[in-house]
Amino acid sequence: MLNWLFFHVLSALYPHTEDFPGIAETGLAEFLPRFRRESAPLFRLGFYAAALVFVLSPILTVYLPVPSFLLSRRLLDKHADRITQFPLYPLRSLLLLLKVVAGLCWGAHPAVRARFGLPPLPADPTDWRTQ
Amino acid sequence: MSHIAFRDEAVELEADYVVVGSGAGGATAACELARGGARVALVEAGPWLDPEHYPHSTYGSMRDLFDDWGSQVARGQALWPLVQGSCIGGSTVINCAICVRTPDDIFEKWQREQGLPDLRGPILAHQDALERELCATEVPAESLGRSSALALQGANQLGYASRVMTRYVKGCLGSGQCLQGCRAQRKQSLNINFVPEVLSRGGTVLSCAPVRRILFSNSRAIGVTGRFRQPRTRRRGGAFTVRAKHAVFVAGSVTWSPVLLAQSGVRMPALGHYFRAHPGFGLFGVYDDPVDPNRGATQGWASVAFRESPGFKMETLAIPPEMMASRLSGGGTALLAKLRDYRHLAMWVIAVRAESVGTVRPGLLGKPVVRYSADRADMERVRKGLAQVARTHFAAGARRVLPVIYGLPYSIGPDEIRVIEDGPVDPRAYISILSHLFGGCVMGRDPATSVVDDRGRVHGYQGLVVADASVIPSNLGVNPQHTIMALARHFAQAALDAR
Ligand SMILES: Cc1cc2nc3c(=O)[nH]c(=O)nc-3n(C[C@H](O)[C@H](O)[C@H](O)COP(=O)(O)OP(=O)(O)OC[C@H]3O[C@@H](n4cnc5c(N)ncnc54)[C@H](O)[C@@H]3O)c2cc1C
Ligand code: SF4
Repeated sequence: MLNWLFFHVLSALYPHTEDFPGIAETGLAEFLPRFRRESAPLFRLGFYAAALVFVLSPILTVYLPVPSFLLSRRLLDKHADRITQFPLYPLRSLLLLLKVVAGLCWGAHPAVRARFGLPPLPADPTDWRTQ
Repeated sequence: MSHIAFRDEAVELEADYVVVGSGAGGATAACELARGGARVALVEAGPWLDPEHYPHSTYGSMRDLFDDWGSQVARGQALWPLVQGSCIGGSTVINCAICVRTPDDIFEKWQREQGLPDLRGPILAHQDALERELCATEVPAESLGRSSALALQGANQLGYASRVMTRYVKGCLGSGQCLQGCRAQRKQSLNINFVPEVLSRGGTVLSCAPVRRILFSNSRAIGVTGRFRQPRTRRRGGAFTVRAKHAVFVAGSVTWSPVLLAQSGVRMPALGHYFRAHPGFGLFGVYDDPVDPNRGATQGWASVAFRESPGFKMETLAIPPEMMASRLSGGGTALLAKLRDYRHLAMWVIAVRAESVGTVRPGLLGKPVVRYSADRADMERVRKGLAQVARTHFAAGARRVLPVIYGLPYSIGPDEIRVIEDGPVDPRAYISILSHLFGGCVMGRDPATSVVDDRGRVHGYQGLVVADASVIPSNLGVNPQHTIMALARHFAQAALDAR
């Protein structure tokens, strides 16, 4: 359920377009559990809170008292653009955090990097000096 | 010679000097003490990553190299992140190694305001030596990248002084990856030189070892203690205690050193006060031809022409593509449409010589809590600085400029720079990052207004020295690593002389 919610929110922020793959096509399914397992608690908490804010705030942006997952595709897109630029600073800051986390997944994908003229990133090493 | 990483068993050691933190200050002090023939134990909270262990992705570097994922924020009117490294080498692993000498006016200011002796002679002598040892050189032309070349051209056009940066880098390849650690080992972060030298001189390095407390016998510091922490799972391991025959050097950074002292029972009126920063702000120029911002040195061009007045330094900066989307406004298809310009964007930044002052205190969970807000005078500096950056972009041929300031248009043309000059003075309208930090254990003669003396010794204690950016009592207006390392070396030599 939680995963479905994150997919919904992050895909609204980074949807598929003519130019770019949407975040759902850039390894989000593997990214999310890794992020939830590895990230700092405060970071994770902010991410959860931001996702919740995104879902509950269409009333502020498209003036409809419904959760974001009930919006039409057109209104969801409008909501994603407006909520990230909302006048209330705490809301805007939370949404910035959501964009940062989503960017870590989306921006590292080979298809996105290729579009930016950059080579694919090799996998991150997982170890450090132990001796 | 030994390196002790995370372990479940308890570890007890003794050394002449214990150094807490292996960043710019700690690694330099430890190396200098070891060169002086002392037995040194260097204790670092983060893991030891060699260049082959560095992550490629920004996700990986936030996880493996940044302190707490870079999730610390300064609490004030705005919430600006405080970015620092936490690994062997500290922030030098994730920084751009820009090397700038301490400006003359800073020494005069320290004498005048802090009652310190003239430190110019010893500090500049150390900086001379450090430049040789760490190979401070200008970014080679072939690695400069188009963004920095454009900035040079724009500044020349406007007629103000600027230059290609000098950095502690041996033959930069221009891979634009300094913030993820230089896998090519060109950047001279201290994990690849001073820390191994401590080992080769018979010292001990403990990694994954956050110090919880400094141990005292009356007012003499006699060692440190803590528990190992597994870097990935954060599982706690065995306890460690390292006793110091002569002194404990604390170099945990501006956020951690004041907190460690406070948690260890040090009570002083100035402890945790006089926190300062160079808040960093950026804006983008959009060019007709591709700039390809991630090709070329991460930072290659700078100007200190406006350091004294109005008070900012200008630089070029290549942020990783993962970060770019969050720097541009909006979301959904509108955001992705903006990202079509990615290859045509050049990001240039200002580091503001802000006069605002904040505090660093231990929080509920033992983590540092920084309270800091930029005041109106500083925000006016921000507006002037960003307007100058915009002017330079247009002089270099930018088609449009993206101010990335809340409430302003998404993009402006050359006739609209006024909107930045008249822009908001509310810090919440700006995205900023604090990476040049100062204070918390400031240096001075008077124990009522400072924490350490001109040799880094904590007033009223014996065998306790602070040797990192937290001792710096004023904003430098230039990149701080060179000053931090020179001060750390000065303090280490003073300790050796006093043995
Ligand atoms: C992204 C970035 C780019 C920068 N670019 C430049 C640049 O190009 N040029 C420049 O001059 N400056 C630059 N800076 C600033 C510069 O890197 C810092 O000012 C400098 O490294 C600070 O030195 P320090 O010794 O105070 O702390 P750090 O270098 O941050 O080191 C502190 C170390 O202490 C460890 N530590 C903390 N608490 C404990 C504890 N309790 N027990 C054990 N260990 C502990 C930390 O894990 C860390 O490794 C940059 C900074 C950042 C973040
Ligand atoms: S730009 Fe690349 S090669 Fe040059 S110092 Fe930075 S990481 Fe190393």
